Amino acid sequence: MIMRILTPVLAMAALGLIFGVGLAYTLKIFGIKLDPKMFKLISMLPGSNCGACGKAGCAGFAEALARGEATPSGCVVSSEEARRSIDLFLGIDYEVRTKTIAAFLCNGGIRAKNKYSYRGIKSCKAATLLFGGYKACSFGCLGLGDCVRECPFHAITIGVDGLPVVDPKKCNSCGKCMKACPKSLYVLLPEKCYYVKCRSKDTGAQTARACSSGCIACMKCEKACPSGAVKVESNLSKIDMGKCKYIGRCVEVCPTKVIAKRG
Amino acid sequence: MKMMGEFVKGLWRENPTFRIVLGLCPTLAVSTSVSNGIGMGVAATFVLVGSNIFVSLIRGIVPEKVRIPCFIVIIATFVTIVDLLMKAYAPALSRSLGMFVPLIVVNCMVLGRAEAFASKAPPFKSILDALGMGIGFTWALILISAIRESLGNGTILGITISRSFEPPLFMILAPGALLTIGILIALINYLTMKWKAK
Amino acid sequence: MDLSTYITIIISTIFINNFILSRFLGLCSFIGVSKNTLPSVSMGLAVTFVTTMASIITWLIYNYILLPYNLEYLRTLSFILVIASFVQFAEIVIQKKAPALYKVFGIYLPLITVNCAVFGAAVLNTDVFFLHGHAVPGSFMKSLIQGFGAGAGFTLAMFIMSGIRERLEYADVPRSMKDIPITFIIASLMSMAFLGFSGFKI
Repeated sequence: MIMRILTPVLAMAALGLIFGVGLAYTLKIFGIKLDPKMFKLISMLPGSNCGACGKAGCAGFAEALARGEATPSGCVVSSEEARRSIDLFLGIDYEVRTKTIAAFLCNGGIRAKNKYSYRGIKSCKAATLLFGGYKACSFGCLGLGDCVRECPFHAITIGVDGLPVVDPKKCNSCGKCMKACPKSLYVLLPEKCYYVKCRSKDTGAQTARACSSGCIACMKCEKACPSGAVKVESNLSKIDMGKCKYIGRCVEVCPTKVIAKRG
Repeated sequence: MKMMGEFVKGLWRENPTFRIVLGLCPTLAVSTSVSNGIGMGVAATFVLVGSNIFVSLIRGIVPEKVRIPCFIVIIATFVTIVDLLMKAYAPALSRSLGMFVPLIVVNCMVLGRAEAFASKAPPFKSILDALGMGIGFTWALILISAIRESLGNGTILGITISRSFEPPLFMILAPGALLTIGILIALINYLTMKWKAK
Repeated sequence: MDLSTYITIIISTIFINNFILSRFLGLCSFIGVSKNTLPSVSMGLAVTFVTTMASIITWLIYNYILLPYNLEYLRTLSFILVIASFVQFAEIVIQKKAPALYKVFGIYLPLITVNCAVFGAAVLNTDVFFLHGHAVPGSFMKSLIQGFGAGAGFTLAMFIMSGIRERLEYADVPRSMKDIPITFIIASLMSMAFLGFSGFKI
C-alpha cells in the first residue's frame, strides 16, 4: 500500500530533480552574460526599430555598436545630440552628418497617361510586374502606395494629384521608401535643394506623349544655369547639389515645370 | 456586485472561444456532437476551477523563475484527476473524447487564466473567473456542436430531428468545424460592433 | 527497419492526418503566427525540432519508467514536464551556441511549450505505438518518425496559410471578418483540400 503512494512520488521527484538540476547546470555553462553597456546603449537609441541601419532593430544595432561593428552615424534617425552622446559613451570621434529628407522624383500622377486599365492587387510592386505598370511612362509613379505603407514614421501620404507627398517634419531619412519604390523614385536630398521631378530616360517626344509634366530634355535648364550644376544626360536633366548656388534660373525656364525648389 | 462582473465577463464579453480565441484545439476537435461538447466543457471547467484555486493560493510563495513550471504541474495534476474520474465513471465519454482530455493541460485558456488572473487575484475572485470562463467555454462548445451535429448528422444529443434531409458529412469532419467557428466569430464580431455603435 | 512503414507514417502524418488541418492540434499558433511567411516557417522549424526531440525523450520515459512501475497515469504530468524542460534547455543552448539559428526560430521556442501539437504528438505516440502496456515492435523509430512528421505537417500548413494571408492583405475583407474569421474560413477550405488525401492507400 505504502509503495503504491511512494513509487509515483519518488519517480516524479526524481524526474523533477534531474530536470531542475540539469537546467540550472545548463544555465551556468551556456548562459550568456549580457553586456551591461547594451542596456545603456539601447536607451540612448531612438527605439523606432526602423531597420534602416541594416540591423535587427535598435537592439541589434546596440549589439553591433557594443561589438564595434557599427558607428553611431549608422543610425540616421538619432538626433545629433543622441549620436554625440553615444560617441562619448563609446569613446569614438564624432562625425558630422548633414540632415537629409526624402525627395520624390516624379511629377506625373494624374498628369501622366495610362496605357491600360489596371484592376489588380493595389501594390506598386505588383502592378510593375505587368508590363512595367499601367502608366504610359514606364519610369513613372503608379500611386498605389507601397511607400506610404513602408514608411515607419508615416511621413508619406498620397496627394490629390496621385503622387506621394513627403512631410519634411516627420521624415527621418531612414531610406525605407527608396527600397520600397519599385521604380526607385525616392532619393535623399539636403533640406534646401533643387531637384528634377522626373526619371524618364525616354526621348523628349516620347515623354511629352506620355506625360504633360516630364523632362523633355530641351536643355534650357542646362543653358540657363550660371553655376554649371545642371547637366542633361540620356534625355534626363540632373542637378548636382554640390555645385548648386541656389539661384533658381532652372526653375524659371523649364517649359514643363518639372524642376522644383525645396526649402 | 463587482464580484458578479468577474463571473459574467467570461460568458460574453471575454468569452474564451469567441472573443479571446483561446483553447481552440479541443473546441473544434471535440464538437462533433453535443454530448461530447458538454462533457469536454464540464471537464475543462473542473480543471480551470481547481487549478485557479491552487494557483491563487500559492501566488505569494512561488518564486518568479519557476512560476510557469509550477502552474503547469498544478494544471497537469487536475487534468490527470479528471481523466481518471472520466475513465471510471463515464467510459463512453472518455473513449469518444480520446486524447483531448489529457490535452486540456496545454489548453491555452487554462494556463492563460492561471497566468493572467489567478496568479494575481485572491482565491474567491479566481474561482468566479474560472467558473465564468468555464461556463463560457461550455456554452460556446454546445453552440458549435449543436450546429455541427444537427447539420452534419441530423441529430442533437442523439435524437434525430429531421428525417427528410440528407446531412452534409463534411460538417462533422474537419472543414465543417473550421467553417462553423469562422462564421460564428464573424457573426459575434458584427453583433458586438453593432451594439457598441448604439 | 521497414522503409515502407516509415514512409507510410510520414505521408499519413503530413498529408492524410495533418496535425493542424485534420487533428486540430496547434491551432492557436496557427492562427496567431501565420500572418507572414518568415515567422511561420521559423515557427514550423522550431516545432519540428521540439516535437522530434520530445517524441524521443517521452518515449524513453514512458517505456522505461512509467510502464515498468505501473505509472501510466503519470503520463500527462511527466510528459508536460519533459517538454517544458526540454524547450527551456534548447532555448538556452541555442542562444549561446548558434545565435544565427536563435534569430531564426529562437523567439518562438517559449511559445511551443503549450503548443498542442507537441504534447499531442507525444501522447499520440503512446496511444498508437503501445499495445496493452508493451511497445509495439519498432515502436521507437515509429514514434520518432511520427514526431518528425507532425512537425513537418505543421510547417507545411503554416507555410501555405502564410502565403495566402500575405496575399489577403490587399483584398477587401468585410470588417467583421477581418483577421480571425477569414483565416478560419481559409483553413476550412485548406482542410477540405487535404481531406482529399484521406482515401489514400499506400
